[in-house]
Amino acid sequence: MKNIFPMFVLLLLTLTATSAHAVNIQEVTSNSGIKAWLVEDHKLPLISMHFAFRGGVEQDPVAKQGLANLTMNLLTEGAGPYDAAAFQQQLADHSVALNFEASRDALLGSIKTLTTDKEKAFELLHLALTAPRFDKNEVERVRNQQLAALRNQLGSPGWQVRYALFQRIFGSHPYGERRLGSTETLASLTRADIKAFAASHLARDNLMVSVAGDVTPKELAALLDQIFGDLPKDSKLEPISEVVWPQEPTIILVPREGTQTELLFAMPGPKREDPDWYAAEIANYILGGGGFSSRLMQDVREKKGLTYGISTGLSPMEHGAVIIGQAATDNAKTGQAWDIAEDTMHRFYQDGVTEKELESAKDYLTGALPLEMTSTDKISGVLIDLQLEYSGRDYLDRRNDLIRNVTTDDVERVIHRWFNPEGLTLGMVGRPEGVIPTKTEDPVHN
Amino acid sequence: MLWRGLLAFLLLLTPLTARAAVFYPTSFTLANGLQIIVVPNHLAPAVNQMVWYKVGSADEVPNKTGLAHYLEHLMFRGTEGMGPGEFSKTIAAQGGDDNAFTAYDYTAFHETVAADRLPMIMQMEADRMQNLRIMPETATPELSVVLDERQQRTDNDPDGRFEEKLRHLLMPHYPYGVPVIGWRQEIEKLTASDATDFYKRHYAPNNAVVIISGDVTPDKVMRMAASIYGPLERHDVTERRPLPPPPNPVQHRFVMVDVGVEQAELQWQVVVPSYNTQKGQEAYAYEVLAEALDSGEIGVLYRKLVAEQGVASGIETSYDPDARGPALFTIALTPHPGKKPEQLEKALRDALQDLAQHGLDAKLIEDTKERLQREAIFARDSLMMPGYAFGMAITTGHTVTDVEEWPDRIKAVTPEAVNAALTDLVANPHSITGLLLPDAHASKAAREAAHPVLSHDMGIR
Repeated sequence: MKNIFPMFVLLLLTLTATSAHAVNIQEVTSNSGIKAWLVEDHKLPLISMHFAFRGGVEQDPVAKQGLANLTMNLLTEGAGPYDAAAFQQQLADHSVALNFEASRDALLGSIKTLTTDKEKAFELLHLALTAPRFDKNEVERVRNQQLAALRNQLGSPGWQVRYALFQRIFGSHPYGERRLGSTETLASLTRADIKAFAASHLARDNLMVSVAGDVTPKELAALLDQIFGDLPKDSKLEPISEVVWPQEPTIILVPREGTQTELLFAMPGPKREDPDWYAAEIANYILGGGGFSSRLMQDVREKKGLTYGISTGLSPMEHGAVIIGQAATDNAKTGQAWDIAEDTMHRFYQDGVTEKELESAKDYLTGALPLEMTSTDKISGVLIDLQLEYSGRDYLDRRNDLIRNVTTDDVERVIHRWFNPEGLTLGMVGRPEGVIPTKTEDPVHN
Repeated sequence: MLWRGLLAFLLLLTPLTARAAVFYPTSFTLANGLQIIVVPNHLAPAVNQMVWYKVGSADEVPNKTGLAHYLEHLMFRGTEGMGPGEFSKTIAAQGGDDNAFTAYDYTAFHETVAADRLPMIMQMEADRMQNLRIMPETATPELSVVLDERQQRTDNDPDGRFEEKLRHLLMPHYPYGVPVIGWRQEIEKLTASDATDFYKRHYAPNNAVVIISGDVTPDKVMRMAASIYGPLERHDVTERRPLPPPPNPVQHRFVMVDVGVEQAELQWQVVVPSYNTQKGQEAYAYEVLAEALDSGEIGVLYRKLVAEQGVASGIETSYDPDARGPALFTIALTPHPGKKPEQLEKALRDALQDLAQHGLDAKLIEDTKERLQREAIFARDSLMMPGYAFGMAITTGHTVTDVEEWPDRIKAVTPEAVNAALTDLVANPHSITGLLLPDAHASKAAREAAHPVLSHDMGIR
């Protein structure tokens, strides 16, 4: 159709500014002082809640790796008057989705319920947090599930290269530890370990809560005390030291049969509270974070067809931060693909970014966040992330300006501070040709 | 009067009555045959568009496997007015998100943007629905990307190879037995002109359905669609040929040993009726059955095999009835550490026999149905769910009403029907049992033997 094209161009020209998005986040405080962020919305008869306790997998003692994960998975396996089967039956009968997980720096939980079943849902959550049973049979069953997950992980090339790389960059720091543990540490965990971990890590002083959906502030205030009020006031967290980055760059190889090599590369990056965070987000978007628009994707995939995907991302943590990149390529083409990627990174380091790239990155970053908040659970999920990264409740109102104010000079500064390819550590798993490792690691088997 | 003029494009307008329904959509069809379905959702100022074409890998011709998926990739490589890669860049410049996927029976493209950008993404999809340009200089590197994708998903992943092999053994000489991504040797030979030809034969407004979900009103979308998609010309597409008669029943057992595997896995796949091939309403009974057998930890099989007998540490049941041909009912299990997978295989068989013999409890079936019906409310709390639900239904020969009446049809399933489905499943003569086993202690020679070069592996065809 000939008349399609002109109209199309016109539309593109007129639609470049991103629409403002006002999300009304209320702060709710219970009688006992427990706080939550709330986006109230009564369109659907649903309530979603996310909550987090600071202190996650990093809290596992070296000899007890896998403990945080096992503890979290056991919270839905029987509590108060309900054994595991009865507890699960209650969840199912009331269509309650209740999940717990252990992440690097926090223990996370979420619950989603129909308004009609909210009483039961929040009663079950209260029991899971304050009266988990950790019955012997269930501990064994869930331990076995974790063992199966661990074995799956051990067989995965992606995990193998990640583990080797993290061992190198984090050394004996807890960030080098394994979320699921090893077969030995997992087997050694006792019921007493699990009870002690829950008692010292699930408390009110390290708790954050966010809610979206069909609930009023007043109702929520009462719910907060009902759900979390019986938790101990203070957590007992192990202090974690800051990450010290290893000095020399390394190329690590984990040999593995197959046709393809997976690459994972890392450099020290900015922490979330760094004043240059937004400039770094923009730099990362342009280099490798922007999907098909990124320079790495353009150079390695779109122009040469050497990979199905190559990307980079910022990974800020409580006690350190990395910029992580990943790609996969044919064994025989690894050298060619990595040469192009390195060249792209060198040019990025030397020449910086163009005004046009800066503007595109800003357009994307300012437009993307509102588009993530399209369901009640996604909204409460974004709100808990904001709390975990210490953003204020007015953050969504300020964020666009923080991004818009970044200049090419700012981006150049962060590129020189963090994006020097000379300093990167590269991990490979496969039988790569054309990249010579400085260190070869045996795959881990337990 | 713009509005009156646009009505000429509207062939059919079906506002649906409000009863126990799922998404409460408005559906209409333009004069050029393009169906548009609108689902308002005002939770966030965002909109999602999904464009589904009624063509998938099962519609490919012999020796051209992978062509539907290759074309899906090339849909991002430029039109007369838009350069290669510009499509995704334009979406990204709005903070938006876009992607695409191909399956046996359909190919779909989707974008999420701020709600006021809907005209833009409609323009872009309308443009590539008719004006795609496939040039050798972009088509050639894209073929390497597809081969890299195949490598990543299948060739270099024991799980991927295992799944591919099971499918092929279960349905040899049937389109669903061929991987969607295609056989490597055939992908390698695909050309730009193959793709152009496929595009011309299958991509047209009269062979597509568009679902718009988000912060919009049906009226406005209708006008917008009529002015943007309306002018596209209907053109003859290759008649969708009926799938061949169902493949001959076989009962297979397949064992794959791979040094890259650390955790063993057991799969039982059974060829069962889909919404299309069912004689009565048994697909709905199979849906209730799948949920009863595996609904997290209260599933009947989980209780038996994991909690009581301790032979498995995990179980997953899946059944997807949205298919033009038959559907698969799959039970995947992870053996309990220290138990032999063969032991688990026997335990699964015994458990299913036992359940079929005694029948599932009527109350359990009623509870399961209740749970499934409530899923409809949760489905509304999602921007993309309407696109998936309507897209899959309509490209496999079903209607908006089929989706909207789903809760009622689940409600109508009787305990007898569920137990009949269970009996049929257990007695089904068309199935495969697959075991994926680790080989950590094999010698180096044995390891290398377990890793045949891929071209050999695929040579079974």
